[in-house]
Amino acid sequence: MKYLPKLIALAISASTPLLASAGQWEGPLNGIVANVVKQGYESYSESSKTLQQRTDALCASPSKTTLHDAQEAFQTNALDWQQVQWLNFGPVTYFMRYYAFEYWPDKKGVTQRQLRALAQGDPAVMDAPKFWTSASIAVRGLTAIESLLYHPDFEPTQSVEHCRLLGKVTAHHLESANAVAKQWQDGKAQDWVFDEEGTGFDPEKVALELFLQQWIEHMSAVKDAKLETPIGYNSRENLKLAEFYRSDLSLRAIQKNLQSYREIYHAGSPSLYEIAKQTNPALAEQFEEQLTQNIKLALQLPSDFFHADYTQEARVALAKPLVKSISNSQSYLASMVTQLGFQIGFNSRDGD
Amino acid sequence: MLSRRSFLTMSSALSGAIITAPSWATLAQQNAGKKLYASAYSLNKQEHFFGLFDEKGEMIWDTKLLDRAHAPVVHPNQSIVGIVARRPGFFMDFFDVSTHQNIMRIEPTQDHHFYGHALFTTDGKRLITQENHYPSGQGKIFVREWPSGQVVQSFSSNGIGPHESVLLNDQVLVITNGGLMTHPDEDRKILNLDTMKPNVTYLNLKDGSVLNQSGNNDELHQLSIRHLDVNQHGTVALGFQYQGAMWDQVPLVALSRIDQEELEYLPIPEEVRVRFKQYCGSVCFDNSGEILAISTPRGGLVAYWHVGSKTFLGVENCRDVCGLVATDNAHEFLLTSGIGSQLTSNPVQKVSKVIKKHPDLHWDNHLRQINT
Repeated sequence: MKYLPKLIALAISASTPLLASAGQWEGPLNGIVANVVKQGYESYSESSKTLQQRTDALCASPSKTTLHDAQEAFQTNALDWQQVQWLNFGPVTYFMRYYAFEYWPDKKGVTQRQLRALAQGDPAVMDAPKFWTSASIAVRGLTAIESLLYHPDFEPTQSVEHCRLLGKVTAHHLESANAVAKQWQDGKAQDWVFDEEGTGFDPEKVALELFLQQWIEHMSAVKDAKLETPIGYNSRENLKLAEFYRSDLSLRAIQKNLQSYREIYHAGSPSLYEIAKQTNPALAEQFEEQLTQNIKLALQLPSDFFHADYTQEARVALAKPLVKSISNSQSYLASMVTQLGFQIGFNSRDGD
Repeated sequence: MLSRRSFLTMSSALSGAIITAPSWATLAQQNAGKKLYASAYSLNKQEHFFGLFDEKGEMIWDTKLLDRAHAPVVHPNQSIVGIVARRPGFFMDFFDVSTHQNIMRIEPTQDHHFYGHALFTTDGKRLITQENHYPSGQGKIFVREWPSGQVVQSFSSNGIGPHESVLLNDQVLVITNGGLMTHPDEDRKILNLDTMKPNVTYLNLKDGSVLNQSGNNDELHQLSIRHLDVNQHGTVALGFQYQGAMWDQVPLVALSRIDQEELEYLPIPEEVRVRFKQYCGSVCFDNSGEILAISTPRGGLVAYWHVGSKTFLGVENCRDVCGLVATDNAHEFLLTSGIGSQLTSNPVQKVSKVIKKHPDLHWDNHLRQINT
């Protein structure tokens, strides 16, 4: 019976009988944490800092040039986020940070509405000690920053209030990014696993299992929410539902996600790829090829894919090979993970 | 997978079978003191089963099913258990526990499907199901005579998507109308996300009149009221599944009574609430009726409350847990999970114990105890 999450011991002590699989998953888990997650949050934290500095410069000297500089910093930061977006686990789950970093899809325009209210109100409220911890997630991160930099309702070069608001949001965003990066530097994935009753509980394997489940889930989100839904692959087209549509990052975000997938697969020694090759070489290679194919197909899409005046039919036709390729990747990944002895979720994935 | 239409064309050759199963009391004499539990399980996406296991977690019998199932149903007197197909469900299979024979299959009437749950009246003479009249999307309650399976009454559930129901007493059925309109031609796709309006309805089984009905406010119209249980004091516990955004801060558990207009949301510490991922699985009171347990497979935990004081007690962590049933011991529950675990958990004594793990199988959503 546990109420608060139990932080698992940092290592299995020498006196503890070794589990049959103890250490088996250390390679890929540590590799993913070090090369994808920690490095990813480090970059994200650094680009959040640049973004905050550029918005300060914009507000100090509003001009097209400083606005452009801030927008450029935003784009770098939003793409750094794509590297770690697949993992809603660990430090990013605190204070709803994951959803605050990116409030998307914002189908009802909540971000714009709340930003307008904040811009019209007393700016001093944003300096209150607990303002940002209790503030709506819609105004705490990249979605809000994108609105302030790109949405026609906001004019940071003309309005002191809008620019001040932009400065406050980017400062909070930097603080959150730094906090997550630091928590990852100071800890490890196993610290965030909830201990369970029963013998044979292996926190390393459970942590990696959660990673793999999140990866599978994210792959679905890339195919469905990022690609199919906005272009109306199965229903009505609504391009404004594309991720970071206003800053024209929708396609580049997908490309970045797909690149991060290969990094996950090859991180660590041994990596998942290397372990999978021992178990089922054909499947391991199929998945590897599909991941490479995903990247290739995403890069082949026209850079104005989400913006140019294509018909829905034309856009769907262009997307079809990539949709199929990601779909194949999902199947391969699910099979591979299962064959490696991980649970991909039964009731949790498909309950009623 | 069996298609709906192909299934409906199958003749119900078993209907009309004479039920000769012994009583639970007779069976209990043969298996002194043995407690049995029933649950559906799957080996993979294609192979689905229904099984019984004992208090040590040992499987004592199982049988292959046509398709994935959802919740067992236990006859109160005769040694008969049934299993209801998962939504959209088109079969309910019944078995004689003494012989393990499949004794009957009940199918929904034309243009209807089951929701995965069913129950017997306390005298065992009637079987009650919640069904979807899918051309209209309206929820229905069917009362069938047992064992003939003949429909003797049907009522509106007074809502859409009646997922589960329990008896408050012999005359009153409490129904969770989950609010989700679906059509089997589109599998489980929600067709009314913008207009859904779930409720809990207290239905008079004599005439189908509504004795009480409560719901969430308009802002929470996407908060599907899905599963429920009732204790010996007439308190109904409700578990929700939210269809809106993952980040919305919504209540997930509530209490209701027949004489109470509003739902009473139970407190959950925010760090626990977010772990639910907007999804409650099974809802279950313990044997004493004092403790409420709610499982969340997405959160990998069971949460507990003391009902009288409406106090949150804590959680039992268990990955992919969903099956939940009260044991004969006060405050104790048996839990089953999608990773094959069976464990007992007592949140008052703060003890839990894994009784068995079947790593190759996935216990499905709901678990029932057989009171022999």
